[in-house]
Amino acid sequence: MCDLIDKTKLNIFRRPALNFFFRLDDRLLLITIGALVGICSGLSSVALNSGLMLMFHWLSKLSHLWWFFVIPGIGAALSSLTLEKIFKEGAGHGVPEIVYSVSRYGGLMRLRSAVSRLISSCLTIGSGGSAGPEAPAVMSGAAIGSNIARFFSMNDRQRITLVGCGVAGGLASIFNAPIAGIVFTIEIIIGEWSAANIVPIAIASVAGAQISRLLRGNQIAFTHLNFDTDITATLAAIGLAVITAVVSIVLTRTLRRSYAISSRIAVPVWGRAAIGGCLVGIIGIFLPQVMGEGYHAIQRMVEGTFNGGAAIVALLVFAKIIATGLTLGWGGSGGIFAPCLVIGSFSGLMYYHLISLLLPGISLINEGYFALLGMAGLVSGTLQAPLTGLFLIVEITGSYEVILPLILVSTISTTISYAFEPASFYLKDLIERGHFLRPRTDAKVLADLGIREIIEKDCITVHPNMLLGEFINVIQSSHRNYFPVENEQTGEFMGMIHLDGIRSYIFDPLLYETVFLEQIMETDIDTVSIDDDLSDVLDKMDMNNLFSLPVVSSNRFIGMVSKATLLDKYRSELRLQAFY
Amino acid sequence: MDLKLLHIFRNTPFGREMLLGSSYFCKKTGVSPVIYIPEYLKFLMYFENDVVQVDLDKSFLKAPGTAKEHAVDIVRSQGMPDPEFISPKQFTASTLPDIPVNFNFMCCPRSITDMSSKIGLGYIGPKVRRIVQSAKFPVLIASSIYKEWTSITVMFGGSANAVKALRLGLRIGELSGAPVDVFTQEGKKGRQYYEKEIDKAGLSNEMEENVRKWHVFDSGRLSENLYHIPHGSLIVIGAYGHGVIKDIIFGSIMEKVQTIMPNNLLIVGPNYGVEMG
Repeated sequence: MCDLIDKTKLNIFRRPALNFFFRLDDRLLLITIGALVGICSGLSSVALNSGLMLMFHWLSKLSHLWWFFVIPGIGAALSSLTLEKIFKEGAGHGVPEIVYSVSRYGGLMRLRSAVSRLISSCLTIGSGGSAGPEAPAVMSGAAIGSNIARFFSMNDRQRITLVGCGVAGGLASIFNAPIAGIVFTIEIIIGEWSAANIVPIAIASVAGAQISRLLRGNQIAFTHLNFDTDITATLAAIGLAVITAVVSIVLTRTLRRSYAISSRIAVPVWGRAAIGGCLVGIIGIFLPQVMGEGYHAIQRMVEGTFNGGAAIVALLVFAKIIATGLTLGWGGSGGIFAPCLVIGSFSGLMYYHLISLLLPGISLINEGYFALLGMAGLVSGTLQAPLTGLFLIVEITGSYEVILPLILVSTISTTISYAFEPASFYLKDLIERGHFLRPRTDAKVLADLGIREIIEKDCITVHPNMLLGEFINVIQSSHRNYFPVENEQTGEFMGMIHLDGIRSYIFDPLLYETVFLEQIMETDIDTVSIDDDLSDVLDKMDMNNLFSLPVVSSNRFIGMVSKATLLDKYRSELRLQAFY
Repeated sequence: MDLKLLHIFRNTPFGREMLLGSSYFCKKTGVSPVIYIPEYLKFLMYFENDVVQVDLDKSFLKAPGTAKEHAVDIVRSQGMPDPEFISPKQFTASTLPDIPVNFNFMCCPRSITDMSSKIGLGYIGPKVRRIVQSAKFPVLIASSIYKEWTSITVMFGGSANAVKALRLGLRIGELSGAPVDVFTQEGKKGRQYYEKEIDKAGLSNEMEENVRKWHVFDSGRLSENLYHIPHGSLIVIGAYGHGVIKDIIFGSIMEKVQTIMPNNLLIVGPNYGVEMG
């Protein structure tokens, strides 16, 4: 009895849904655990931030040395070695990894991912690499959420929500921006707005931001300034949206190109990361603004105290794009958010200078306004997530009064960027490989079903030596119009008989005792394997105008798959996904 | 019914012994071997509630040119038809291959990720442990040197996992025609407790009809009594059925058994649940 009680207690701990309190409402369970995930991911973001501060503090003492340019190289190499040798993880910033796991495997992630990207990106960014700490914070939060869900034996849907909680908590904590955390999670990671998701994600976002406020103080990333916007300023934002869209396309293509170029170099990944890091260091000798996360430069631009004319700022846009490509495309670790903010603010400033030069008579509000809009434009264009760009900038600058031009810039930039690059930087690889599966889409429903679930096994098999007369008796006892033919001795699949194909024989009794099935069966037929993807099976059916296909494994007939059964299962699965 | 066993092939003499062991198991039980020849040192296995990253040791990538030919030769030498080979269909965003897990068995060496020198010393690798803990299929740990088995010994300790192992052992006995023995190290609970558990699982009749002998040891230590298990026996045992804390404090019985016994082991993890026809 005592043993039984202990087991029950353990079960309630591991499976909290068994508890009466949580059974009142499943959402209560998700909210409670979501808050826990938010706190943990908030803590991990604070740890990353503190690590970066420490690295900046130590390495700033070396900045006067002539060989300082090798420091980003050393940092990137160590970062790559840490990922590859210690954590045994692949390179990359991590966001596509989260989307992949959410799309295909209900958000299952490795525990090691909770720390691997934090350490590696700390080394890359802290040493001067051009990247941001947001993607690692997001990756860490997602892995925390996934593993907490695993510990509590939660199902796929609940696990995905907790991964979202981790992402929201991490992002909210690193930027002190809870709304941006929620919006980013829904727009990029989960891809669906539903009450069941939003509430726990919002709670986690609040928990993450609160942890950051407790430990780092309640401060926004950039000083809040009041911008008096008029109709001229709002219209001017349209031009900036076009500029930021073009820059975000260039940035996305440069990152992909950098990766392609570096992959062709026959040195280990850590060697490539070192080369990329050193090149960033060399650029940094002349343009130190391109190094690190670059928030100081943004601060000065927003305040309107940044020195440099249109040419210098244009050079900085170009240099920061190259430095980001050399860091992230060559094996360094970190996110794209911070570089987007920096490049965006440079782009805004460049646009301001250009307008001032071309239209000297126009009275524009100060350059900080354009720097701010530029950030929103570039984040929206690169991530193709207009709401994320919009809310992030409002929260990190506290500038709600520029909401109208912000909406304009974010939406126009996303639209133009989408026209030239239909997939965002985060999702392009996944879309190309067919791994981007959003809930309730055709691809997702088909990916969640397997042949095993729809296979029809009530087929009567016949053998090649059977006489047509005997076969007529078999037909009478079957409700199917196709019959697999198997070798009597070995059980090997030999072909199929479709009633449509043998109608002329059936109605001729003279043939009943003279024709064997071997003579009339079809041998050149398409088959599918039990592990094939249903989307491939459907393509095969459509291509050959078929309604069913035999499933064959190790030369044995297993059953049939038909469009009719698939449609039934498809509808049930769709209903299930819609219900959640 | 089409049962399949996944084998990660290592093109080395040690790998040959392993594949001989799993081919023999397949031949005896009518299971089809499915072979994965790794092209990368890492791959992922996504189970229902866990994802396991397997980091292979470098010997798994040796002589890729001859790997397929060797694997086919080894399987054929057991009088089996040519095996099926799989290659990963999915790659994660960081380009790690992702191997399907919808098999009925998987064959592992004792350690899949660490130095081969540890194999045979009774060391069970952390990844093998994770696979056993997460997989729905039982894991076959073939003996270091190819060894045929002529009987089946089920280690039965009364837990839910042990019941699953007993069920599997009886099924393997039925498929292979090999006699089944049951081995129980009697603790404080007494024989009646074990009988009651078997009865509760509805296995009493099957035990009576298909088990050759039920060895119940009421004295002596487990490590000493294991000597009575025939050397030509496939041991079927449940693992990690007592929960993490108990395993940390008292150790896992399965791990104890596998350090002592050089026999082929078929391990049933806590998530085992594959239907076997």
